[in-house]
Order: sequence, then C-alpha cells, then structure tokens
Amino acid sequence: MNNNLTSAGGTNGALIHISNLTKNYQTDAGAIQVLKSVNLQIYPGEIVAVMGPSGSGKSTLLFILGIFISPTQGDYILGGADVLRLDRDAQAEFRRNRVGFVFQSCDLLEHSTVYENLEYPLIYAGVDRRDRPARITSALEMVNLGHRIHHSSNQLSGGERQRVAVARALVNQPQFILADEPTGQLDRSHGHQIMDHFDEIVKSGQTSVLVVTHDPEMAARCNRICSIKDGILYEQ
Amino acid sequence: MQFNDLLTVSVRQVIRHRRRYLGVVLAIALGVAGFINILTMSREVKKNFNEDLDLIGGVTVIRLSFDNTRSYQPQWFRSATLAALQRLKGVKELSLTAVKGGATNYRGQQYGFSLLAVDDGYWGVRSFWAQTGNLFGPGAVAGRKRECVLGAELAKHVFGSLDIRGRLLEINNEIYWVSGVLGGVTDSGAANSAFIPLTTGEDRLAGPLLPDRLYLRCQTWDDVSRVAAAIPAVVKSTQSPEELNVEVSWEGLKRVLQLAWWIQFLIYLATSATFILGGVGIWNVMMAAVVTRTREIGLKKAMGAEDRDILAQFLTEALCLSMGAALLGGLLGRIMTEILGHMIHSRPPENLFFLGLGLGFLFAVLVGVGAGLYPSLRASRMEVVTAIRYE
Repeated sequence: MNNNLTSAGGTNGALIHISNLTKNYQTDAGAIQVLKSVNLQIYPGEIVAVMGPSGSGKSTLLFILGIFISPTQGDYILGGADVLRLDRDAQAEFRRNRVGFVFQSCDLLEHSTVYENLEYPLIYAGVDRRDRPARITSALEMVNLGHRIHHSSNQLSGGERQRVAVARALVNQPQFILADEPTGQLDRSHGHQIMDHFDEIVKSGQTSVLVVTHDPEMAARCNRICSIKDGILYEQ
Repeated sequence: MQFNDLLTVSVRQVIRHRRRYLGVVLAIALGVAGFINILTMSREVKKNFNEDLDLIGGVTVIRLSFDNTRSYQPQWFRSATLAALQRLKGVKELSLTAVKGGATNYRGQQYGFSLLAVDDGYWGVRSFWAQTGNLFGPGAVAGRKRECVLGAELAKHVFGSLDIRGRLLEINNEIYWVSGVLGGVTDSGAANSAFIPLTTGEDRLAGPLLPDRLYLRCQTWDDVSRVAAAIPAVVKSTQSPEELNVEVSWEGLKRVLQLAWWIQFLIYLATSATFILGGVGIWNVMMAAVVTRTREIGLKKAMGAEDRDILAQFLTEALCLSMGAALLGGLLGRIMTEILGHMIHSRPPENLFFLGLGLGFLFAVLVGVGAGLYPSLRASRMEVVTAIRYE
C-alpha cells in the first residue's frame, strides 16, 4: 500500500497534519465556505476533541479526515502520506488499514451478528479467515463485550451497540480513530465508558483519536480541545 | 475481498432476505423448468402425438409405389430395399402392400373391390384400428391364414352390417374368414377394400403378386421432408428406382408443421416471458435493496470496501438468486419430465435433460448478471458521505 503513497516530511512527528484546509460547497445561491484555512496537528497517543455548534463545519472536517470528501484546497498528511493525492481505491485501502470510524448513530449492520459486524473490516483488509476470531474477540474484550460475540446487533442496547462500533473501529488496529459524537445518544455513564475505552486505546501511544462532540464533559476528558466556529478552527 | 468471503457474505444476505426474493426465484425457476421440459420432452411428445393422433399421424406417412403400368419390367420392393429404408434416420416403421382386383359372390350378388395383401405392420403404419372384431396380426401373416378384414362400406354392401366377425366370404374363389371391419380415418378407397395377409395373397391369388406399394411412417413430422428427399437414393442403392413415386401429404404436413411451430413458439414465448419477468424481478428487488441498504453500503465503504467490493457483492447476490432459482428450476424440471414421461410412456435420453439443465443455468446466469449489473454499479458508485447520511 505504501508504494502508492507520497512521503511527506515536515510534520514534526504528528500523525495527522493538516494545513490551510479549505472547503467550499457550491449552491444555487453561490459558494459557501465551510472550512476556512484550517490547520491542525494530532500526535500519536492523543485524544483531540472538536466542538462547535451545528453547521460550523465539524462533520465536514471529519469527512475530509476520513478521506470521504476532498478539500477545495490545503494539505492533509496522515502517517507521513499525502492522502489527498491517492486515487479512489488507494484511499479505500488507506481507510481500511489506517483509519477507524465510530458514527453518532451506532451504525451497525442490521440483522447481522456482532461477529459479522466486526468481520467486515477484516474481510476488506484481506485478513486470513483463521486469524479473524482472535482479533474480533480481542477487540470485543477491550470494550467488555466478549460475551456478546454471537448475538444479533438488533438484540443489543444503545450503549452496547456503540461499544461494538468502537470495537469495530479498533479491530484493524488503525493508527487513527475518527468518532463523530460517539456519546451523543448515550447516557452519561455509557458515555464515560466509551471515553474510557478511548483512553485505553491511546495508551499504547500508537493510536490517536479525534472526537467530535457537543458535550463539554466528554471533551474535558480529551488531551486537547479544538472548536470550530464559522469554519475557523480554534485551539483552546 | 476474497472469493470465499464474497460468496459467504452474498449467500448470507440472500438467505436473510429470502422472503423478499421468493417471487423472483419462483418465476425464474418456472422458466428454467419449462425450458428443460421443452428441450427434453418435445421430441417425445411429438412422437406420442404421431402415434396416438390419427389426423396428425397421417401426415407422417409416406407412400411409395412403382407405376408398373408404365414400366416394361415390373418393379417391386426388395427385402434389401426395405432394410435400407428401415435404417434411414427418422423412419419409425414401414409396411409392404400388394394390390389386386377382388370379387365376391355373396348370396347371388356380385361385388367388385380392391384387394390389398398387407403385412401385419400395415394397421400401425396407417393408424387403422378395428371398428368391429379384430385386425389380423402377426399370427395370421406367419401362418398364411385365410383371414380377411373388410372396409366399412364394403362390409355394409355385402353383409348389410358391420358386426361380421366370424362370417365367411368368398374372395376370388377362395373362402376367407372375416376377422373384423376396418376403422380409423379411412378414405373411400380403404372403406371399399378387402385386406388379406400378404403371405396368404402370395399363396392364394392367381398370377404374380407384386408388393409394389410401401407405406413408411416417420418418427415425427419434422422428419418427413428429409426422409422423403432421401428415399430415391436409398432405393437406387439396392434396386432400379424407375417409375418410383414418392407421395407425401404436403398440404397436411404444412398445416401440422405450422400448428406445431405456433405451439412451440408460444411455449418458448411463455418461457422467455418468465425469464424476462424473473430478470425484471431481480432488477427490481436489487434496485430496492440498493435503496434500503444505502447506509449499509456507506458503512462498508467507510470500513474500507472498494467500489469493486460493493459491485461484486451485489452482483454475486443477484447471481445467487438466479442460480438458486435455476437449481430449483432444474429440480422442478426433473419432476415434470418424470411425470410427463410417465404419462406418455416415453423416456427421453438422459443427456438431453442435462443439456437442458446446463442451458437453463446459462440463461439464469445471464439473467442474473444482466439484471443485477446496473443496481450493483449504482451501489458501487455511491458516495460514502451521501450513503452514510441517507435516512
């Protein structure tokens, strides 16, 4: 995979390095600038919170970091690679091997078991069938859901579903986890459980987490807090 | 994505949504079963029609004769010719006949008629049956017995009745035992004729008896033209074909062929319609699946699935549906073939069934790929953000 990547220097050891990131959307009423010259570095082992009101550009930033959409201009270096210069398939390869996602709405595949939900990232990453059970079990044990491995996702509570989503993000041992309001639909106690899991994940010093949240209490548990207002990122 | 994973994931999806796919699977299965049956059984059914239906059966009979009134040297059908004709592909059976003038004096009344000396295969070849009594069989022919069968008109003229089995009749100064009256679709010639065994005719009739007429029945009406065209060369290979006439009921054959073509066309049309319906069904359910599974597609792409992984998964699901339907169709086709075979007392060659099964599978695959391709392409080209945000 790395053959496809362009090595980029000058990131001062940052896992994520974005500079002058701008995103415009074209509408009938004209261009809307959602992100304005955003600069951000995230270092290995860090949990960074991004806060901001609705429509401030948080999700757009998250989607750019997840390589789902491209910025209008700017640079994005992940793990030393200029990911914006990758083609569509290489970006997909990058996503499955380096990035994990946790979505706000506990997006598990319906009518599938917990095992199957965690197996998909491994299937796409080409992990050998025999190695999968151990990796899935290990990821589930990290979120204390080893006993739910063969349950249907429809049988889980909201908190459990979100923890399965965290385990799924972890299963490919990514360098970077993007979490879009992972505690937004959970009560306080379950929210803290999720944040505990993130703390556990970054302990190794290899993985970083970016959490988009509205909740100041959850944000306070992160190493750094950034806020976006009118497309401009401020570090607190 | 590895092939075994692709297969596992696709089969799992199809099984989980089996209720949604049931109608489509049944439509394709019926199409495959119908196709297999047409391919496997049509020739057997045609043969059966040929044997059972006098009207249709008549057009498969070819009449061969030598016109000895125009020939210096009288001709008749030699046994080598009969054997060669019997070996012709598409020939079911044949019957040798000789004709003489016949006369009887019954209770002081004189009657003239055609006297046909025939072998025991004559009745079968010409689809004749006994209206009353029996038609003499191999025993009478082999035993050179003095038995006769009368045409219905002749029986009425002479005896005033059709119930004449066991009566005695003098024909050309020999006494014959009447075994029955001829039935079936007979022309006036047959209705006014008397029939005696060919061997008896050779023994009893005055003067040389030349078997210069031959009735040849083809297996199906599709064989008639080819067999008729081949006859002169076959005859020529064993004897002189001088003054040989080959008569086919071309007008009747044309009508039967037209009718059969239309029936076959309509069955193929119905089968094609079933396949098309199945294809439209697959298209429809796959399009619906792409819409209802938009978030799933987005999620999978977020997990690192490439466009080709999504394309392969949806296409494999469509293929699983059509292949599963073909499998069911193959089973149904086998059952229908067995039932039909039992009904018409005929068993088609086994390789024909497997050919039908193979072609049915091929069509099913084409339907699956054809109908599943566009929905699969649509799913694969979906943008991740649009898909994830889809409500």
